[in-house]
Formats: sequence, structure tokens, C-alpha cells
Amino acid sequence: MNQEPLTPGWAPADPPAPGPQRVRVTGPRSGTGYSPARFSVSRELDEQSEVGELFIRSLIRSQLRLALVVAGGFGAVVLGVLLLVLLLPGNGVALWTVPLPWLLLGLGIYPVVLGCAGLYLRAAARNERRFRDLVSESEG
Amino acid sequence: MNPAAGFAALAAVCTATLLIGVYGLRISRTTGDFYVASRTVPPWWNASAIGGEYLSAASFLGVAGLILVTGLQGLWFPIGYTAGYLMLLLFVAAPLRRSGAYTIPDFAAARLDSRPARLVTSAVVVVVGWLYIVPQLHGAALTVRITTGLPGWAGAAVVVLVVLCSVVTGGMRSITFVQAFQFWLKLTALAVPLFFILLLLGAGSRPITDGGAAFQADGGGPVYPTISLLVALLFGTLGLPHVLVRFYTNPNGPAARRTTLIVLGLLSVFYLFPTVYGVLGRVYTPDLAAAGQADATVLLLPGRLIGGASGDLLTALVTAGAFAAFLSTTSGLVVSLAGVVSQDLFRGSVSGFRWAAVLSALVPLAVALSTESLALAGTVGTVFAFTASTICPLLLLGIWWRGLTAAGAIAGMLTGAALCGGAILLAATLGGALGPFRELLEAPAAWSVPAAFLTTIVVSRATADRRPASASRMMARLHAPERS
Repeated sequence: MNQEPLTPGWAPADPPAPGPQRVRVTGPRSGTGYSPARFSVSRELDEQSEVGELFIRSLIRSQLRLALVVAGGFGAVVLGVLLLVLLLPGNGVALWTVPLPWLLLGLGIYPVVLGCAGLYLRAAARNERRFRDLVSESEG
Repeated sequence: MNPAAGFAALAAVCTATLLIGVYGLRISRTTGDFYVASRTVPPWWNASAIGGEYLSAASFLGVAGLILVTGLQGLWFPIGYTAGYLMLLLFVAAPLRRSGAYTIPDFAAARLDSRPARLVTSAVVVVVGWLYIVPQLHGAALTVRITTGLPGWAGAAVVVLVVLCSVVTGGMRSITFVQAFQFWLKLTALAVPLFFILLLLGAGSRPITDGGAAFQADGGGPVYPTISLLVALLFGTLGLPHVLVRFYTNPNGPAARRTTLIVLGLLSVFYLFPTVYGVLGRVYTPDLAAAGQADATVLLLPGRLIGGASGDLLTALVTAGAFAAFLSTTSGLVVSLAGVVSQDLFRGSVSGFRWAAVLSALVPLAVALSTESLALAGTVGTVFAFTASTICPLLLLGIWWRGLTAAGAIAGMLTGAALCGGAILLAATLGGALGPFRELLEAPAAWSVPAAFLTTIVVSRATADRRPASASRMMARLHAPERS
């Protein structure tokens, strides 16, 4: 029996038009099971060898300690400046009529931020280098 | 002020933004390009783009306005904005880049292996993004009203229209170019007029700081609001959706860190300029504070001090910079919101992304048109407090603590949202009736952020038997360095 399709959407697709194929691009990442970007060392640790797990734990601990130390140092500086500004609002120290609290808050803190960032970058890279050396040693 | 200058500046910035967007479209080929520029943007470009995106209406107009009104107290805002980036570098940048997720909800889903956690995170991210777009549109309305004489809604509408055109056609790749361009435009737009103003004041032996009088009339300011503000800004930056998505455009973790360092440098230099505008405003335009127009200080100062055609030209430049600020922050937010919304609503197709972008821009437009502009920097500070109370615990604990569970993350986000949002609404509706509690409720970050962290940890501990099985593998992926 000759049956009509129930809805137009069910009709067979037209034959593909000649010319370059149109590629449909879609997000590769709905749900949780997307494939990650390349990650290399962790690939070997993926199988959860106990040694690898140990290395990762110690790397995370040292990176966290580093981040906390730098953040704490910066926090101490900010707190110090805050107290200084509150306790000595107009103590008369000034450079080209700009009083000390304005100099500290407007200029002085920024080099501290950059210094903290630079220190952290070097130390974090060192931690990772040490981790890589450990992993390659245990492999070789 | 000559409206023609305002119109010309507006047209120039919008045209340039659209042109760069179209140029970017031609090299935007794959879905990866469209969403995150295929993760191949070099650090300098990327850092400029991050700076361009981050420096919003609050930075360009709000900081100077705040310094005009509150003096020394206003200086804490740019410090918080910059130091927030330091926190991002210390705790989030490299691990998040390695997570392989594109958005914060993606991160939540991958780390916690939980669909409910993903949905709650998405909802919070969308709320944060919408709240953050509203002050941008208020800034646009103010700028258009002052520089062209048109009604304010026209400015908000133009921003939304231009952003939608460039986002819908180009996606992230062209946005990266647009925003890198807009950072340098913003810097130039503040630096050049300031150079001429200082030159003129110096040549005419007119006072710059009025012999130090510009710095008078304020003490250190109240303690609690300052601390609460710093907490909000330091921990809020971590969770801003448009800032985070930028890290995925770095090729690897170390590049993400390098980018952050450059961003810090760019921000430190940039914030010098609004600060000087604010100080000059205290000498030459103190009337704006009384008129409730303090946010217009940056826009009006060049015209007031340098009259005539050259004054108009410099005003046009500042106006262009201000519009670059609204456009870049709004487009960054719209892109990241559209990424989140299209994931959960439209299954991640490119046409779904476009519809999501339209949705992400029109809702805040409606809110902006139906509300009054408050002080820009203050409004943005409130958004930071909300972000710090919701997304920050999820990110920090998710990256650094194995014990986080989906239930803990959800409980923490909901607690933070309820406490912070409730406090701000209560302060806004009751106002003076709150007496001594008003300060606590107006700046809730100092207690709502610890409360959110505590809730997350306690609930996670209580549900420790439901830790995701993939936690160890995810931690390894987040922290193991790339092979060099």
C-alpha cells in the first residue's frame, strides 16, 4: 500500500547538492564524557599506579603551599597598608603634594602585585620541573 | 559640548568593532575557532584581549567617579580588580586551562561527574553574567546622554546591537582580535587627553593637585566595608565567566600563567590613568559629585579644561574609549553566557550558540532599561561579591581539594547565592531602617564568602561516600604539567 509520510519531516532527504560538502560543526562537549585536551604526563598516571598517585599528591601539595604563601604574603602587605592608612591618614609625608597614603594605594601596591606574580611563576615552574624529573626517573 | 564629536566617536568605535569582527569571521573555520579561538592565541594578544574584556565601564568611568566622590577610599577598587587577577594566577589559571573544559559548568560537570551540579553552576553563571552586563549598559546610557544628547536607552541598545552582530557572526576568534584592539583603544583614550590636559595645566601654571587640597577632606574611610570590598574583588575575579573562558585560548598551562602576568602589568599601568582623572576631577569638576554625575568625570574633564575644537576632539577620543569598554566587556560576557546557555539548552550547535547569544544580551537590556543607574563601580562591586560567594568556592575547592562532592558544591553555591543576594536585596529595600546592620548587609562578601566555603566543606564531608570516582584522575589532569 502506498503510504504517505506522517509529517513532512519524515520525507527522505534530497540528494546532496553538487559542489563542496557542507560540514556541520557541533559542540563536542555536552554531558560529562567529553574528550579532554592533550595531557601527557597524567596519561601515564591515569592507570593509577601508586607511585604516580604519590607524585601527583606531593605536586598538588607543593603548588598549593606555594600559592598560599604568596597569597598570604600579599594579604599581609595589603593589611599593613590598610592599617597604615587608617592610623596615619595625614601625617604630612608627601611627594609633590601627594600624601603618603595616596602614593601607597595609587602607586605602591602595583609593583608588589607584579613581584608576587613573578615570584610565583618561577616557583611554580620549578615545582613542575621537579615533578617531571621524578616521573621520568621512575620510568627510566 | 559638541554632540557631533560624540556621534563621530560612537560611529567610529562601532564600525571598527564590526569590521574587525568580520575580518575575524574569514579566519574562523571550525567549532573550536568559533568557541575558543582553537586555543592558539599568543600570550600578548590574549593578554590584551583579557585586559580589553576585563576593563569595563566600572574601570573606565567608575573608578574616577568614585575617587571624585570618596577620595582615598576609591583607590581600593582598582587595587582589588588587579589583585583579583593575582588570585586567579595563584589558584586557578593553569589547572583550569588543563581541565580541558570550556566553561565553568563544563568544569563542574567534569570534576564532579554530576548533571545537577552542572545545571546549578550554569544557572549561577548566567545570573552573574546578566548582573554584570547591566552596569555596562547603564554606562552606555550615561555616555550617550552626556556626549550626544540622545536619550540614554539609545546607548544601551546600540551596545547590544553591535555586540550581537559581532558575536553572532564571528564567535571567539574575532572577539579576541576585537578585544585586544579595544584594550589599546581604552588606554590611548585615557592617556592622550590626560597628556594634553597636564601639558596645558603645566604651561598655564594652573594647579594639578591644588597644592594637595585634592587629597584633603577624607580620612582612611570605614574599615569593614573596605575589607569586605577587598574580599569580594579578590575572590570574585576568580569566578567571572568571561574572564575564565579566556584561559582556554592559551595553548597550555604555562602560557596561561604567562598571559596572566602580562595582564597584571597591563592592568597596573591602566589604572594609573583613571586615578589621575579622579584627582583632577576633585580640583576642576567637584560639582559633578553633588549632581550625582560623578561617573561622567572622565568624559567631561577634557572638554571642561580644554575648550574649542581640540577639546571636542579629545572628548570624542574619551567617548570612543568608554564605548570600547562597554562593547568589549559586554561581548565577552555574551560569548561566555551563550557558550553556557547553548550547551544546556541547544546542545552546543553553532546556530544554538547564536540564539543563546541573542537571549544572553536581550535579558540584561530589558533589566537595564527598566532600572536606574547607580554608581557604576559600586554596582560592579556587588556583582563581584555575588560571584565570590557562589562560583569561587566551587572553583577553589574543586581544583585543590579531592574531597569536594557534587552535593557540597551545590549546597555551597545555593547558600552563597541566598546569603549574598538576600543581604543585598534587604539592604536595597530597607536601607536606613537597618541601623548598624546596614553596613554588614550592603557589603556582605566578608561573611557570605566564608559561609559558602564552610557549607561546601561541611556538606562535602557529610557526603564523603559519594565522592566522584574520577576525582583522582581529574586532580592528576588538573595539576600534572604538560610535557615540555
